[in-house]
Amino acid sequence: MKSVFADRQFNFLVATNVLVVALAVVFAGDTFLSLYNFQSMSAQVPELALLALGVMLAMIAGNGGIDLSGIALANLAGVGSYLLMRDWVSVDEVPLAFSWLFALIALLIGLAGGMLNGALIAFAGLTPIIATLGTQLFFTGLAVAFTNGSAITLGYIEPLDNFGNTPVLGLPMCFTLFVAIAVLIGVVLRYTPFGFKLYLMGSNAKAARYAGIPQRRILLLTYTVCGVLASVAGIIIAARTSSVKWDYGSSYVLIAILIVVMAGVRPDGGYGRTVCVVLSATALQMLSSLFNFLDISNFFRDCAWGLLLIVFLATSRVDLRAFISPRR
Amino acid sequence: MSVYKKIATCTVALGALCAAQIAVAQDAPPVVTVVKVTGENWFTRMEEGVVAYGKDNTGVSTSQIGPAKADAAQQLRLIEDLVAKNVSAIAVVPMDPSALEGVFKRAMNRGIKIVTHEADSLKNTQVDIEAFDNKVFGARFNEKLAECMGKSGKWTSFVGSLGSLTHVQWADGGAENAKKYPEMELVSEKNESFNDANKAYEKAREILRKYPDIKGFQGGSAIDVIGIGRAVEEAGLVGKVCVVGLGLPKDTAKYLESGAVQSISFWDPKDAGYVMNKVAQLVIEGKEITDGMDLGVPGYNKVSVKQGPGEGIIVVGEAWVDVDKSNYSQYPF
Repeated sequence: MKSVFADRQFNFLVATNVLVVALAVVFAGDTFLSLYNFQSMSAQVPELALLALGVMLAMIAGNGGIDLSGIALANLAGVGSYLLMRDWVSVDEVPLAFSWLFALIALLIGLAGGMLNGALIAFAGLTPIIATLGTQLFFTGLAVAFTNGSAITLGYIEPLDNFGNTPVLGLPMCFTLFVAIAVLIGVVLRYTPFGFKLYLMGSNAKAARYAGIPQRRILLLTYTVCGVLASVAGIIIAARTSSVKWDYGSSYVLIAILIVVMAGVRPDGGYGRTVCVVLSATALQMLSSLFNFLDISNFFRDCAWGLLLIVFLATSRVDLRAFISPRR
Repeated sequence: MSVYKKIATCTVALGALCAAQIAVAQDAPPVVTVVKVTGENWFTRMEEGVVAYGKDNTGVSTSQIGPAKADAAQQLRLIEDLVAKNVSAIAVVPMDPSALEGVFKRAMNRGIKIVTHEADSLKNTQVDIEAFDNKVFGARFNEKLAECMGKSGKWTSFVGSLGSLTHVQWADGGAENAKKYPEMELVSEKNESFNDANKAYEKAREILRKYPDIKGFQGGSAIDVIGIGRAVEEAGLVGKVCVVGLGLPKDTAKYLESGAVQSISFWDPKDAGYVMNKVAQLVIEGKEITDGMDLGVPGYNKVSVKQGPGEGIIVVGEAWVDVDKSNYSQYPF
């Protein structure tokens, strides 16, 4: 039963992707279908989609799970890592080492931030929405304090810039990395004991507790992974913009949630597929780019997002009723 | 079943959206102006200039877009899509110049012309247009303030934030100019208002308490004068304290009327939008912009050209507009 429902969601998202491309062919013509545009779009997807994956994990964990601090942590990871590094390692002399070290420290900051979220939720028992709202302000505040609120330019760091923008074998490297991460998460969720326990805990916390699932440890782990995902997004942002700033992507929090809801992840927990989140993100990205190609006002786009969300939620509501009723 | 239903609904909805927006086929090279955010008075006024240029010149087709939220990430995405779309030229008022270096470089590699405004630190641009020299602009504020204060007394300056380069330059330009008047004393300079009229108000109240004999305020961010004006009004000091600074006529009208704010200065975004597109067309046509050139808009009749931090040039006009109680209503923004 579950797998039928899952496939449906998957089918729907695949169809949406195809539909957007078809619309693009009709309305925007050849330039939309050019290789350059697809590379450009696939370089735009990862930062948002990684945040969405984090939100998905938090939602699956149940207990009203959500991660609002993603983009704030992503920016803090970029800002913090660069500030820690710049006096130690010279960009001009060892650009490659600088880039790797930059990524490493950013990941560590993400790890720490994620663990903070996890600890607040798992051990202090805070509601995720409150805890992550608090850490969101905290991370943002730190990043502002470190930079006095202005952007810090990294300058042209070749390896980092290549990572963010240059296609290898036709795909931007950051997109390849994103796909690899998504596959990894998908596999972990589906085939490992951790994934099994996470779904179980999300669908029925009480039963999971009686079954002896270590809830705290799993919550901590889940939010730590969210933090690491956010920091990867932060590295990609730094690579793509050659700068770090505290308020970059301030509109991402809601878009990430939109992606996750569109992907059919259950906000109460216990259900969500990685591949659906990826497809949802690509559909939204292509639609967004299509709107830009057609010179559609960005307010209109917000309106379209809302419309999509409502259409989707409404139809899934109907879906759910059919699901409950003795149709089978 | 419901999958089909969903798809059908989405198809209809999206199809309608796209069809409703289909643009008329345009043959002239498209020049797209990208602003920080859509829907703000400032950029709505700029759009008038952008549209006007397109009407006056059939050589290019002009349009203006911008994110619905002031977010550097959204602006970057818009520009990336324009680069993919391969428009002829992009004119940008950057939200955060450093975030756009990469995309501008890629755009220029594809042969797209880049023109910017208010971004003289940008390396990857062909022409950056500044309405005026920021130090001179700051000095002008101070000159007005000095006149109003009778060239003596305590005064202070506000900035949106210490990170806003232009605001700091105005404050410094003002302080530099005030050295001409030994009787004028600058106290606790560069107060940060964080572009928030309420913060400016509270900061101004603090200063009025700390220096009861203060006689002048120079605002930095466009809302500073509003907050300061309110504080001055509430303290009953209208006419005793002078307030000048950057401001927008419509927003500041109330305080100009009451006399809490003496005069405000700004540059007309409409003219800036017009000039950006004019320059974009010149660049597309491969024409050079030279020192002393007339760009055909008041304030840009005799621009000065200097080398920017990168390959590109910086074009500086003298396009400030000063208004006070008597003439602010001529500017509908």
